[in-house]
Amino acid sequence: MSDRRDDIEGEGVVAAEYALGLLEGAEYATARTREASDNAFAHEVARWRGYLAPLHDGIDDVAPPASHWDRVQTAIRRVSPANDNDLRLRRSLNFWRSTTAGMTAVAAVLGFLLVMKPRPAPIPPTVAAVQAPVPAEQTPPMVAIASGRTAATVVISWDPNTRELVLGTAGTLAADPKHSHQLWVIPAGGRPRSLGVLPAGKTTHQQLASALADLLQQGATIAISLEPRGGSPTGAPTGPVVASGALSPA
Amino acid sequence: MTVEMDRTASPDVARVASQELTSLMADVAQGDRHALHQVYERTSAKLFGICLRVLDDRADAEDVLQTVYVTVWTKAGSFDPDKASAITWLAAMTRNRAIDRLRQRRPSTDDLESAAEIPDERPSAVDIIERAEDRARLHECLDELDEDRRTMIRAAFLEGTTYPQLAESKGVPLPTVKSWMRRALLRLRGCMES
Repeated sequence: MSDRRDDIEGEGVVAAEYALGLLEGAEYATARTREASDNAFAHEVARWRGYLAPLHDGIDDVAPPASHWDRVQTAIRRVSPANDNDLRLRRSLNFWRSTTAGMTAVAAVLGFLLVMKPRPAPIPPTVAAVQAPVPAEQTPPMVAIASGRTAATVVISWDPNTRELVLGTAGTLAADPKHSHQLWVIPAGGRPRSLGVLPAGKTTHQQLASALADLLQQGATIAISLEPRGGSPTGAPTGPVVASGALSPA
Repeated sequence: MTVEMDRTASPDVARVASQELTSLMADVAQGDRHALHQVYERTSAKLFGICLRVLDDRADAEDVLQTVYVTVWTKAGSFDPDKASAITWLAAMTRNRAIDRLRQRRPSTDDLESAAEIPDERPSAVDIIERAEDRARLHECLDELDEDRRTMIRAAFLEGTTYPQLAESKGVPLPTVKSWMRRALLRLRGCMES
């Protein structure tokens, strides 16, 4: 692979030099930026970290001062409030508060989607409701946050009950006029199925056919690939995946 | 109490402790503060040891350790037990944070401007891929290198020693030390992958 060239002058060992901590200044800054943007490089760095991990065993344990846990607790209260019993909301708050400045817009989109897609209120347990045909149990909505080789992050909200897929984009998904972005669902262990070409715009809604809807289960991957204008000619992804993320309960 | 997960623990004890820690991390990802305290109890001595080794300063080490557990709280969901054990993930993240702090404290002398402009793009949770066989193999493969190279690799890993510092301590030009280390790292990789 081109990212693993063994030439002594360059590429082949940068991931190792970076993982080991040898780089500084501009070289360090470049490698660090690359880790965030180049999947192949990031993978190589992750492997080197794994190779080197046993070196941690040579470090003696030292107990931190007893007061340190209080500091940690105080810091944690700052990132997530204590009196919040709604786990779902708390997780989105954690997400909102913990992400770095660049991700704030993503969180805003996520918050927007969660606000826009409240779960239906449960049917009051009246006699009439009990005698009516039992409604199908509501499946919780799911969210995937797709990011990768692009400055943009796409938040995908999926409501299995209404089969409605809502996409919000933070940042700009840039494609030249000859290309389109295409959305895919990849069921665990399955092959990618197209969910359509992404129209321009920050937020899009679409309702999926039930055959496709069945594929959007927890753990499925949502991916966006760069394809020839109008979408993949083959029905399978042909271009690079620019963003991907797994579906999980909102 | 710290659960020993290093070579001194019996394999069964280490495995159970590792499984428990993985399960606690999953609870932390669900927003369970009690689980976070348990993770802290089990791992803080190891992680503080790493901070101290890299930073050699208690106040800095305590600061970094605090940011590590805040990251655990907010990013536990990004820990993937299929890629690495929880303790390995935590240790790698801690070392990264400690080295980041070291770099801030000790900006590169030849490159002050670019050091100041280092973007904060490193994911705060670290990606690491660990395979069981790598653990034993690393020490064998390091033993195949010259003693001098092995020492330099350990210094870089454990103390955050950089290329310019290695060149200075060895009294050789920077390109020479780079060439030595690159050859050693390529050889190490060849051995790890053989």
